[in-house]
Amino acid sequence: MISARQLTKRFGPLTAVDRVTFEVEKGEILGFIGPNGAGKTTTMRMLTGFIPATEGSAVVAGHDVFEAPMEVRRRVGYLPETPPLYRELTIGDYLRFVAEIRGISHGDRLRRVGQVMEQVGLSGWEGRILGSLSKGYRQRVGLAQAIIHDPPVLILDEPTSGLDPGQVAGMRDFVQHLAQDRTVILSTHILPEVELICRRAVIIAGGKVVADDSIDGLRRHAGGGLRYRVELKDADLDAIPSLVGALPEVEQVTPRGVDDGFTLLDVRAPADPRTAIARLATTRGWTLRAMERHVPSLEEAFLAIVGAER
Amino acid sequence: MQVAWAIYKKELKVYFVSPLAYVFLGVFLLLAGAFFYLGVTMTGEASLRVMLGNLAIALLFLLPLLTMRHFAEERRAGTFELMMTAPVPLWAMLLGKWGATWTLCVALLAGTALFPAILAYYGEPDWGVIATSYLGLLLVCGAFVSAGMFSSSLTDEPVAAGMVGVVLLLPFWIAGTLAELVDAAWLRATLRHASFLTHIEPFSRGVVDTAALAWFGLFTFAFLFLTWRSIESRRWR
Amino acid sequence: MNQQLRRRLAYGSNATLVTAMVLGVLVLLYVLADGSRARWDLSADAANTLQADTEAKLTLLDADGLPVEITAFSHQRGKEDSALRDRAVRDLLVELDTRSTSLSWRIVDFDKERLTAERLGVNDYGRIVVQRGQDRVDIKDRDLFRRVGKGDDRGLEFLGEAALSRAFAQLLAPTRRVVYVLQGHGEPSPTERGPGGLSDLVAALDIERYDVEPLDLLRTDREGNAPVVPEDAAVVVVAGLRGPLTAQEEDVLLEYLGRGGPLLLALDAGQPLPVFLPRLGVRIPDGLAMDTVLVFPYKDRPVPVYKSHPITETLREGKVVTMLGAPAPLRLVEPAPAGLRVDPILVGGRESWIERGGESVGGSAVFQAGVDGEGPTVLATAVQLLPGGGVVRPTKPAARVLVLGDSEALTNGLLAEGPGNKDLALNAVHWLAGDDQRLGATKGRRTAERRLALTLEETDRLRWISLLLLPGLVSILGLATWNSRRGR
Repeated sequence: MISARQLTKRFGPLTAVDRVTFEVEKGEILGFIGPNGAGKTTTMRMLTGFIPATEGSAVVAGHDVFEAPMEVRRRVGYLPETPPLYRELTIGDYLRFVAEIRGISHGDRLRRVGQVMEQVGLSGWEGRILGSLSKGYRQRVGLAQAIIHDPPVLILDEPTSGLDPGQVAGMRDFVQHLAQDRTVILSTHILPEVELICRRAVIIAGGKVVADDSIDGLRRHAGGGLRYRVELKDADLDAIPSLVGALPEVEQVTPRGVDDGFTLLDVRAPADPRTAIARLATTRGWTLRAMERHVPSLEEAFLAIVGAER
Repeated sequence: MQVAWAIYKKELKVYFVSPLAYVFLGVFLLLAGAFFYLGVTMTGEASLRVMLGNLAIALLFLLPLLTMRHFAEERRAGTFELMMTAPVPLWAMLLGKWGATWTLCVALLAGTALFPAILAYYGEPDWGVIATSYLGLLLVCGAFVSAGMFSSSLTDEPVAAGMVGVVLLLPFWIAGTLAELVDAAWLRATLRHASFLTHIEPFSRGVVDTAALAWFGLFTFAFLFLTWRSIESRRWR
Repeated sequence: MNQQLRRRLAYGSNATLVTAMVLGVLVLLYVLADGSRARWDLSADAANTLQADTEAKLTLLDADGLPVEITAFSHQRGKEDSALRDRAVRDLLVELDTRSTSLSWRIVDFDKERLTAERLGVNDYGRIVVQRGQDRVDIKDRDLFRRVGKGDDRGLEFLGEAALSRAFAQLLAPTRRVVYVLQGHGEPSPTERGPGGLSDLVAALDIERYDVEPLDLLRTDREGNAPVVPEDAAVVVVAGLRGPLTAQEEDVLLEYLGRGGPLLLALDAGQPLPVFLPRLGVRIPDGLAMDTVLVFPYKDRPVPVYKSHPITETLREGKVVTMLGAPAPLRLVEPAPAGLRVDPILVGGRESWIERGGESVGGSAVFQAGVDGEGPTVLATAVQLLPGGGVVRPTKPAARVLVLGDSEALTNGLLAEGPGNKDLALNAVHWLAGDDQRLGATKGRRTAERRLALTLEETDRLRWISLLLLPGLVSILGLATWNSRRGR
């Protein structure tokens, strides 16, 4: 549904986006993540046709954004970082205006405006002036304008920024609901959100794609595998790491300090080493206080990937 | 066209609820009243020539204030992104905005209809001259709005856009007054051709001149075209 | 690659070129529009429309291509009407400019731009200097404006178009020509400045590029040859004879007519007449031409009615009155002798008659059948003597003659008093000289001035209405809008 090929954007000497290539399948929700200034917004703007790419091309909803910008615009719903609102207008006027420039016929306009207002939870707010709305409501209006023409492709730039936790949850559910029959790209730097909504993410840093994988894949990739935390106690503190490390199942052991006489170890292993460690502890007469498997969060994966890039 | 119409309606709605438009309207009509009163009492003529002539100059300074927020504000509010990611051709946006501001000018000038009415009450104005004078002012408005839009497309700072607009228009005024001081006939003629004063002048006497019509039409088109180029090139950069 | 190219065209450096080209085309379009403009004058009585005659002269100037530069000096600031005068001049110059390709104009502030004034040797306000190549014509302010009307109807008449039109004609005339004025029989003198002299006519003719020379046909030259009318004579004027012409003079004039030479005869009642007059198809009976109905309001003088003729065309249109002294009635010879074309140009009214004494009522003469001659009278007539018709030799062109039954009409006194006299005289000379193109001076026009008479009280009310009413309404509207949106 969306395919970016070698998308590049240079602002004078600065390369904001550097040969970004990725694909989004129909019905997929793609998390587009990266630190601030990584080129997320620029990439999205290129995909929507708002700014032309310096090099490379993108096909969105079956049309090249450079060759047939109007066709693309018709099929994409876009929520920029700040909801694009006319402060002076009322919600109703604004949405009717968007519906009109989106080419929704006169007969359908009112019905459609009512529909989206209900969908985003703005029923009864028609007469409110946009300039007096709170951030959360503005975001809802912004979302309403993005979906008013029922686009097959939705591009959402930081849809949850500035929302309170309750609103974030609401937005998340809503996006998930929307995604049932749409292709969605969602940019954010709030990673838990991506973990919850998306099955796949593209990480972009310094204008380049540094990772493009499923969420699980990213995690695995980031930690170099699963890790286990083990806390053992013995008179001979120093012997513990080397003995654990000597186990055939274990790949690497990192001591992480001592707590209340217990040695804390970080164990990296391709397969679960816990039974082997338990057995070793029993043989050696160590006190085993805790042993847990640690699944790396996307955040850790992200930091690892972005960190490695830097 | 449908889209241009939608933008036109939206712009008008925004105008008529924004305090700026009312301040603008008030200032304009106050000036018009002052020019009218002074013109009538000083010349003792049942004519709007003084008022209309001065209003054209006043518009040079006032209209950029009205147009300065056009693109600057759209960019700041992000609505420019909305327009340019919706199936809105740039020309439709320009046309809609130009049309709406020009319509506001029509409303301004309609407000001054009080003055010919006063003249008709006390004297016998030349209606032909008044009609063409208003036609001339409408053309001036169209041209200035277009230039103001161009200046607004150059910068994101509304105040700067307003000033650029005035600075952009000033030469077209000064050229006319400067022409009278120039000795070389060809330069004088060129300066006169460049100035809007020359082209509004026949209208103020009751003459409709196709060359003057063409000048205003082409001036308006030229700046709309430049606005279009300017926005396109800024998108590229 | 193709796409790259298109991007460059749309956004790259080529875009600047494309933009410049489009702007160039727009300028070109304006130049085209300027070259082939149409103008509609919607003002009341088409106040801005140039008269056909002026446009014709502009076309002739353009055809020649030599640039015409008009420098108009401002009027004294602060003086009554000065702004109105400056504006009238400016409006006219603009209008002339739009109709011409060779004309350029400039308004010079007489007080500020002393250098220009000195360069052109101008030391009066409101003067217009028209220059073309080496030639120059000056028009004084008093020839541009005339006060007209009385009381509330008082106003200023702007004669600028007529004055400039004459100036153009003068510039267009290829060379100066000579008008000879016969002297030696007590005629008014061309140099005499008093009311009975012809100096004003001479001055007017000078502007029209005619030199005026006295003509003496009595004296023989040194070799004893009989006098002749010089070959360079454009027109010979015989005006106000107080003594008879000698036979020799008559012969010389007839010889001149035989060459096709034009003659202006301004004769008076009760004075000697040329013997050859009947040969021109005109006789002058005794008596004075009188009129009861058409009397000029303030002077007890008959007012002639214009008949259609190139000489009178513009005067008829402009309804400009020509004033005559005590005109002699002309009788056209019936039937007209062969080889003549006689066209009366000034006639008396329907009630006019020839007064020969008899009854008078309350001191005024009245018509008395049997004593007085019947009207209507003819006061001036144009005559064309066709070649081979007895006077003009067959190989020569037709001779044009104008017989006017009054010489006073040409003198300084009536030239100043009669609004149409000068134009009539100049038109007559142009027609006689065969310069038909320069006929038809243009009308004067009242400056566009529509008075607004306000009392003090009205002025006061007007101030408040014009300053406060509209801004007040707008404020109310604005506050209402603001109020309705509060809290939404």
